[in-house]
Amino acid sequence: MARESPLIRASSIDASEFMELSMTYRVTGVPKTIVNGTTEIFGALPEAQFVRSALGLPEADAPQA
Amino acid sequence: MPLLSEQDRQTVRAQLARMTSPVRLLFFTQAIGAPETALITKQVLDEVATLSGLISVEEANFVLEKDRAAGYGVEHIPAVVLLANGDDSGMRFFGVPAGYEFMSLIEAVILAGTEDSGLDAASRALIASHVTAPMNIQVFVTPT
Repeated sequence: MARESPLIRASSIDASEFMELSMTYRVTGVPKTIVNGTTEIFGALPEAQFVRSALGLPEADAPQA
Repeated sequence: MPLLSEQDRQTVRAQLARMTSPVRLLFFTQAIGAPETALITKQVLDEVATLSGLISVEEANFVLEKDRAAGYGVEHIPAVVLLANGDDSGMRFFGVPAGYEFMSLIEAVILAGTEDSGLDAASRALIASHVTAPMNIQVFVTPT
């Protein structure tokens, strides 16, 4: 995603090496993704699902409210 | 003594051959009091650089070049910023790129060294229409 847009920055962080950061974001299992310090994504998702989650969008086939 | 076996070097060299433009691995560390992980990271980066003529490593001092580090959003070390043709690719690695993370680093280097993000059309469309402000994605991983 970072390669696709100059607005996106993506970091890979070793959870055990940066304990303080891991504790701040309550990382108890990996992979865990934090977007803009708030959105949490647990585990490794397929591309479509990950992109939608990162952008704060509902699942593609979810019923529209 | 190299960290990678000769077979692994061949494998990685073949993967890196997909690169079409130069990538600089900008490595932020400390001269004094650097954690051991920083020393290992430097070894890994130096070895990766030997596997492609398009990869170079630049070491920067996190303490002496604080503004530069801040400019790249680097607040912890060891940190690797991937520069594609001198520009920020947006990709960072914090911690030793070992185990699975080594392969992630190689994939990131290839991404930085090619024009293609590798995402499918639907993803690109979503990003184009929904990303209008800076977005920071932090992925917590473990090397093993």
